[in-house]
Amino acid sequence: MTKTEKIFEVIVIGAGHAGCEAALASARLGCSTLMFATNLDTVAFLACNPSIGGTAKGQIVKEIDALGGEMAINADKSLLQMRMLNRGKGPAVYSPRAQVDKNAYHVNMKKTVENTPNLYLRQGEAIKIEQNEDGTFCVTTAVELTYSCKAVVVCCGVYLNSRTLVGKCIRESGPNGFANARYLTESLKKLGFRISRFKTGTPARVRLESIDLKKTTEQKGENDVLPFSYVTQSIPATKRSCYLTYSTAETKRIILENKHLAPIYNGEINGVGPRYCPSIEDKVVRFADKEKHQIFLEPEAEDTCEFYVQGASSSMPASVQEQIYRSIEGLENVEIMRDAYAIEYDCIDATQLNSALMAKHLPGMFFAGQINGTSGYEEAAGQGIVAGINAARYVQGKTPFTLRRDNSYIGVLIDDITTKENTEPYRMMTSRAEHRLILRQDNADLRLTETGRQIGLVDDERYARYLHKKQQIELAQKELKSVVSPKIYGPLFQQKQEAVTGAGLTVDEMLRRPNITAKDLQELGYFSNIDPDAIYEIELESKYRGYIEKEKEAIEQANKLENKPLPRDLDYSQIDGLRIEARQKLNKIRPENLGQAGRILGVSPADIQILIVYLAQNIHKD
Amino acid sequence: MNNTIVALSTARGRAAISVIRMSGDDAIQIAQKIFRPFPQQPNMLRVGTLKTQYFNEHAMCVYFVAPHSYTGENTVEFHCHGGTAVAQAVIETCLDNGAIMAQNGEFSKRAFINGKQNLTNAEGIIEMIDAETASAAKAGANLLENKLGKRIVQLQDVLLDTVSACEVALDYPEEDLELPTVETAKQQISDVLTQLNALISTSTLGKVAKYGIDVAIVGKPNVGKSSLLNALLGTDRAIVSDIQGTTRDTLSESVNYRDIRFNFVDTAGLRESTDEIEIEGVKRAKKAADSADVVLHVTDDPSDRSVYPTVRPQIRIYNKSDLFGNEPCCVDSLVVSAKSGNVDIIKETLYEMFSAKDIETSDLLITNERHLSCMKRAKQQLENAVKFCDQTTLDVVANEIKGAWQTLGEITGTTAQENIIDRIYSKFCLGK
Repeated sequence: MTKTEKIFEVIVIGAGHAGCEAALASARLGCSTLMFATNLDTVAFLACNPSIGGTAKGQIVKEIDALGGEMAINADKSLLQMRMLNRGKGPAVYSPRAQVDKNAYHVNMKKTVENTPNLYLRQGEAIKIEQNEDGTFCVTTAVELTYSCKAVVVCCGVYLNSRTLVGKCIRESGPNGFANARYLTESLKKLGFRISRFKTGTPARVRLESIDLKKTTEQKGENDVLPFSYVTQSIPATKRSCYLTYSTAETKRIILENKHLAPIYNGEINGVGPRYCPSIEDKVVRFADKEKHQIFLEPEAEDTCEFYVQGASSSMPASVQEQIYRSIEGLENVEIMRDAYAIEYDCIDATQLNSALMAKHLPGMFFAGQINGTSGYEEAAGQGIVAGINAARYVQGKTPFTLRRDNSYIGVLIDDITTKENTEPYRMMTSRAEHRLILRQDNADLRLTETGRQIGLVDDERYARYLHKKQQIELAQKELKSVVSPKIYGPLFQQKQEAVTGAGLTVDEMLRRPNITAKDLQELGYFSNIDPDAIYEIELESKYRGYIEKEKEAIEQANKLENKPLPRDLDYSQIDGLRIEARQKLNKIRPENLGQAGRILGVSPADIQILIVYLAQNIHKD
Repeated sequence: MNNTIVALSTARGRAAISVIRMSGDDAIQIAQKIFRPFPQQPNMLRVGTLKTQYFNEHAMCVYFVAPHSYTGENTVEFHCHGGTAVAQAVIETCLDNGAIMAQNGEFSKRAFINGKQNLTNAEGIIEMIDAETASAAKAGANLLENKLGKRIVQLQDVLLDTVSACEVALDYPEEDLELPTVETAKQQISDVLTQLNALISTSTLGKVAKYGIDVAIVGKPNVGKSSLLNALLGTDRAIVSDIQGTTRDTLSESVNYRDIRFNFVDTAGLRESTDEIEIEGVKRAKKAADSADVVLHVTDDPSDRSVYPTVRPQIRIYNKSDLFGNEPCCVDSLVVSAKSGNVDIIKETLYEMFSAKDIETSDLLITNERHLSCMKRAKQQLENAVKFCDQTTLDVVANEIKGAWQTLGEITGTTAQENIIDRIYSKFCLGK
């Protein structure tokens, strides 16, 4: 046993987006918390695109905020512009997306971490985690210092044994030339974790002045989008623009001609990459019939001319990269400032974790972020806050905190990664959430603030705002019941081409007419003292009531299985009738309830029927 | 661990043989105790003696080893002499040796649980058991062959394509992947709707195949309705006399004609009466007519042009052609003589009228209420989806398509809920 130097309640390994949320949550819940970063300049580093949010991800950011996390606040502080994606496709998929200043994002988050009581930030590479006989953990760093803790949260992102690839140039390195972590994988293997290898990539950063902006379409932010955080008062108007352009037939020709030089096609890369975030060479090969692809140029920060070329990540040799980028419209004379690269890294099999993100076989050990096989800052941060909360609750002897598929995207995310074995990096999408009509970006506060308050992360100010919004909604709901005479609504309805019935209508009935908006009703004098966000909720709930009710019924139906727990020690190989594959999968993953069991790949509805019968019979026996 | 269940597999009552089936972990051990000499190998029928506490039954026995049996478990069948007493005694003996009585449909439920059949297969078995005609049996056999299941999977495939196209559009607003226009989605949905409607429309024919055609025989007193019934059945089923009002209550009887079941209902003659019983009879006649698939309006008066007051389709039958001959005024009626017994023209007309010959050529008929209701629900959801394409937003459209996909899955059981499955298996007769 190595001599222990420092004792903490919780140690967080890694200070990326998962690590920061985990450490902040743990410290704010009163645990003395130590957070390691291999390099303190990598705290909350935006290694890929300089943006936060997007489809499904924007919803996660709002959920983290409602629980009392930091990502939304930090994005608002570091904002360059804000947009709402998917307008016109329905409220369930409205998704806020921010361009942020990556330097400011790092600085602001680091400042918050430094100013949080109970939280200690330390540069150091963790090389070993061991469990002591009393169940506590001992973490050793590369400089041979040891630290002990009651719970450890591993959030080392893409740094484990990572290699970056630019053509034939392969470096043992983390993202952006930062040092990788070479030893921790071995330690994790010894602790019983299954390791697999994933890959991802990032495009080049180019010089703004070398771009012919006339050939592109400028995209400013939108001024009517609310801040990410429910406690941010206001956000600035667009500070910098993005630009939209297209790849050309020439791009395609260059890539196909040089395909053999791309590590992914010549066998150099062993890791599995995400299908939904393909490199430009991948896109050209997979969508061979498409002549051009959209390319977005995004500002990296306010005080730099570096631009991020979204949609064009690549692992080609640097000389080919230059040809590729110069074949893009408007980029004919572009100057590359940083090369695009692919990165390979180790991650664990997240089905070894439970829904509190704690290792099933090693209580006290938690994992969050890309090490769990996910991709994306937001997915990492969402896991981070859950793991951090649970590490603290574990130390304090409290029951685990879990989110569900019917109350949050984070719940969907954690259920998916701990239930289904991932064969590629997991990115959140709205289509993964079967109850997305209820899991909207506008109601994350209504869904989760109360939970965050009970946990202890929601401060008085946030809670007061939440209560105020709820009260506003209740006031508006009362107005919904008042009856309006045709004399008053007649002219409006005629103007909006809605049929006038001659009888009185309630405000609710008026609002449910397709062509009538809450704004129209405000002009008639209704909702005069109600805040816009509360009116929005009311309008949406009225217009979509039928679908929302259906969704709630579906949730109730699904919960019948969710609420049937499966005994932890059940030996599935002994249950007659289960197919062999189902027995193996169930024994490996050991689901917490029947609902989760049904989502395991290789477990069929018939297998679930057998489990239902089996459980019923065994309950009778008791 | 599966306990061993036992039940009578053949129909209860008088019969040449009874088959008693036993399934479960101990089925073979129990059989070895009570039947000697026990077959030396599985799948082989052997003659021997089954010892009950009342008598020794000379019977045959065959056993099947898991998973190569109907239920997928160890299974034993005893083929005994028919009759209630024998079957009762054999089952009692099995129970005394550790078996328990099977619940309704439990054998098939176990077959489903053990992956031996899917839901539509199972329902096919029910239909086969219940089949009264070759047509009904064929419809059941098609289910067993999983023809419906395959068709449903095809439709689900298209919907899955449509919904995933919508999802791509929702999840990748900034990607330039081929975003499907709402028009493509509409086209795909309407293709599925067309096929779904075609399937749903076979349910009329399916009903004919499964239940037959309900035919009410109505008319004034003494026009020969009961004679007609007897002629149609080919037996003296109804009392026939010259006295008006002989038939007081309705009388139902079925007969098969060209593999179709005709369910005839003879009714009381329609007339004003003060007799309480006859009044009730007339009331019942009207009710029978209104609930029939077709009404035979019988008359013996060549000049009678009256129409029977019912919403159901009706055919005028001019009976007693033996007395009056074929009058030219009878062109819009079927002319028959119940007395001479040649009434096949009626059956043939009904057969034509219900396109029953299409049953032979049709390759899939919807005969099951549950299937029909799933299809109708899916249809509603898809119609909503098309409607919403214009009225509301894509997120809701995608939900409806997904809903329809799930509803169709209920037919084959890939998305079936516990209660659906229980309901299906409770419909099985005991022992199957």
